[in-house]
Amino acid sequence: MAKKFDMSGLKKSLDDMKKAGLKKTAHDFWYGKPHSGEEGGRRLGEILEDKTQLYTHREWRGVKDTMYYMYMIWGYNYVHMVTDILKYSNNPIDFVKGTWRYRWMGQTYLPVIHWFERGLQGMRGEALRASAWHYRAMVSASIQQICNFFNADTRLHGGKENEAYKTSIFANETTCGTLFYPWMDAGYRYIPLEMIPYFVTCHVNSHTVLNYIDAVQSLGLPGDPCPMCQAESGIFVLDDVPDSSPMLITCNEACDASVSTSTLQDWFFDKPLFALPIPMQFDDPLVKKYCMKEIEDCWKFIEEQTGVPFSWESMVKRLELQNQLQRDEWEKWEVAGKTDYYPVNGVAQALFRIFSTQYGIQGDFWLEASEKVKKIMYKCVEKKINPFPQTRHRVIAWSCAPLYYSNWCTWAYNCWGLNCIINMDSLMFDMEIRTDSYENMLEDMATYHMWAPMRRMAVGGMHHIFELWDYMERFNCDMVAMYDQLQCKGMQGVHGLFEDEFRKRNVKAFWIPHALPDSRTVSRAEIRRQINDYMSTVMHEEPLDPSLLDFDDSMTW
Amino acid sequence: MKDLKHLIYFENLLQEANNDLVKQGKADGKRAIGYTCYFMPEVLLDLPGCFSVRLRAPRCTSPDIATYYLSGRVCHYARSLMERALEGGYNFLDAQMATETCTATCRFQEHLQQKHLDSVEDMRIIDNDDFFCEFTDIPFKNNETSYQHFETQLRAHVLEPLHEHFGIDISDETLRKAVEDHNEVCRLINEIGEYRKLDNPTITGYEFHVIQLVSLACPKYLILPYLRETAEELKTREPDMKKNFRCKVVLAGSENDDPDFTKLIESCGALVVCDRFCYGAVESRQPIVLEEGKSPLRCIAEHYLKTSNCPRFMPQDEMRARKKRLAELAKEYNADGVIIASNKFCEYWSYERVIDTFILQRDFGLPVCSIEKEYINSASGQLRTRFQAFVESVEIKHIQEGK
Repeated sequence: MAKKFDMSGLKKSLDDMKKAGLKKTAHDFWYGKPHSGEEGGRRLGEILEDKTQLYTHREWRGVKDTMYYMYMIWGYNYVHMVTDILKYSNNPIDFVKGTWRYRWMGQTYLPVIHWFERGLQGMRGEALRASAWHYRAMVSASIQQICNFFNADTRLHGGKENEAYKTSIFANETTCGTLFYPWMDAGYRYIPLEMIPYFVTCHVNSHTVLNYIDAVQSLGLPGDPCPMCQAESGIFVLDDVPDSSPMLITCNEACDASVSTSTLQDWFFDKPLFALPIPMQFDDPLVKKYCMKEIEDCWKFIEEQTGVPFSWESMVKRLELQNQLQRDEWEKWEVAGKTDYYPVNGVAQALFRIFSTQYGIQGDFWLEASEKVKKIMYKCVEKKINPFPQTRHRVIAWSCAPLYYSNWCTWAYNCWGLNCIINMDSLMFDMEIRTDSYENMLEDMATYHMWAPMRRMAVGGMHHIFELWDYMERFNCDMVAMYDQLQCKGMQGVHGLFEDEFRKRNVKAFWIPHALPDSRTVSRAEIRRQINDYMSTVMHEEPLDPSLLDFDDSMTW
Repeated sequence: MKDLKHLIYFENLLQEANNDLVKQGKADGKRAIGYTCYFMPEVLLDLPGCFSVRLRAPRCTSPDIATYYLSGRVCHYARSLMERALEGGYNFLDAQMATETCTATCRFQEHLQQKHLDSVEDMRIIDNDDFFCEFTDIPFKNNETSYQHFETQLRAHVLEPLHEHFGIDISDETLRKAVEDHNEVCRLINEIGEYRKLDNPTITGYEFHVIQLVSLACPKYLILPYLRETAEELKTREPDMKKNFRCKVVLAGSENDDPDFTKLIESCGALVVCDRFCYGAVESRQPIVLEEGKSPLRCIAEHYLKTSNCPRFMPQDEMRARKKRLAELAKEYNADGVIIASNKFCEYWSYERVIDTFILQRDFGLPVCSIEKEYINSASGQLRTRFQAFVESVEIKHIQEGK
């Protein structure tokens, strides 16, 4: 149970110090308390308020790490949350107006730092530093997207279609940003329609999105379709979408419900729309040819709408940066798979990868962060620093993650020593795109497009989803965290086969039931309970930090 | 009205997927080819030497083992098919021509596929050494690019495998003849369906539903004589003196191969005069036109994409046109309203139903009854109440309009 930091708490702390002795007290002050309970550990669960999970006092990570957190994460990011607005916004007043106008904005901007806290809880040393750089890049990219929305939004400009409006291209969030590179030299921007209002929102403040789900259900939509699609539709139902582009590119994203969401969006949006399907049977060379043609048709549509021709130079310039980012990832994955020196935690790994691949190269934040992380990683390798020394199991997370609890892996490491090395979403878009000729680029682009988030393994024949075994080996994992998105028909449809295979192969696997953004269906506490049960009753292990076993975080962001 | 001569026989045929006519077709040495979706052109599966069977799982109310494999949160239709397959009910199939057109049936069909991989064990659900399952990629759009793609896919994943596995003749000439035979079935079903447009129709929605289903679930060459006889019989069938319905409706929505559902609606006073749902006749019984200068396969590919009103189509004009099409059907069949029914867990139709409910009323002035149902409708009491209330509301509307 969490405790308030009152005078009795202070007295107890002094008593504890007396008992521990001066040497240990000084050691804990300088380095932070040790991780595990047996060593008189840090007991992270006790510094958090019940329900809200606000800190009763800051987590003491030792002098160096606490100062680093204070200045290089907390302070640094707060400052950048202001300077990024000045950098990306045409007029900061629009940003303020947007914050008042849009519910998803007003409710999520300020809790951003708490999002950091949740993801970085308990992290020390290189793990803290590297993971935080991934977060920093995501925040910067998000602010750029928000500014792109608001710079162009006719609702914030008295209905006027300004230059920013005319040079913005809306597309469904899982349409890869890569497709729009050819127009970026001409000043065009790709805005993933739902990425900020829905996707980022869920991570930062899980309560905001619930309102949108309720809104679309109030029209008569049943509760069972994918809640991601429901939320994306609900944003339109509540008229909470900026009017920032004269056109829309839709795609079938991951599932049937995504296709249907496009229908609903069309009725509300009522603007020129190009449907860019992602074919399913992507192993079939004939399908790839069809996909290439569809992509070219999409480019023609953009040319018609904008009056600006496709630019090969603009395309190549950004593709090369994107390829560099991909090579960086491969380098990181090599270290993650073969050593204990990879310094990025599970949530920072997953979110950085999915944010960067969906949004594409529209700024220098991804590569900058990647460089910083690589530098930290090289240091770990050279000096043989294990950033996650309490690792008991190397975990691969498979299928799609609960957005309202993407930081479950931070908790799982702190509580049980489960180190989430890699996840399925990171392994989408796992390729370079050739830039030596238009034909090669187009061919690779088709593959890239078809390897979209939640699709690369989920469709195209059932055998792709069972590539899990290969990745377990590649990343040297001994345990599977199997996400169980209760409303994903595709993944529910392979549930039984996974059970069969886990048993047959004697793979240690626990299921994480969830409903993507909807924290009401399976709460965070329930997810923890499932993992606790597995670790104690099946694995017969004791928690590293017993104070994290059971707590109430129902009211936290 | 006098009972139709073959109605009981037709009803009996619908009790099993492996019905008497399917057995006879197999005994004649033909290959049984299963499929689930309209996008798999049945005409290609009815080439000489094989026959199509659109899969159903009649009387499957408790798909327990399938629920283990697919979970309880996947549509009951897909689970029922899976259960029937696991029970051995589809062992008569020589091939399954699969489509990835909706997630749930896709997963079901993937379970049938022999993967021959180390990653996951083959389940060998269909106990037939000759059996294979082949997937065809279906476009999401209705345009030139899609026609080309679909034609290529049908050749690579339907015709060629049928030829390779079973020696089926896939020449253009054979395709033309198959289209001719297919069109004969369409002509008869449409002729039978025309009576539904009468002021006092001489065929009920239930009867038509049964007739349409047998045409999908039985070898065409074996069901044709019965359809001809039924069409002939209907020419002289007299309607009841007094209309035994209170309003007419179009039934639209997701997968529906349960004639008892239509019967339930009609028992509440709403005569179903048009069926715009998966397994319905509106699309599937439009004759295929073979155009000069185009290969028969190309014409077939175009036909199936052009005639479909599936909510899977994504382009803006398609999404809007299908609402209009539904409203036109209501007008064509003199319907007073539309019942839109989606199967529970069907994502396409959950959304489409919501949108239709608003658009048809707002833009076309049509009363709409929007319901969610199971594959096999055990909750008939609740549905009955809904339908009765809808019929009353339509009657009140008529009174208010002075009709």
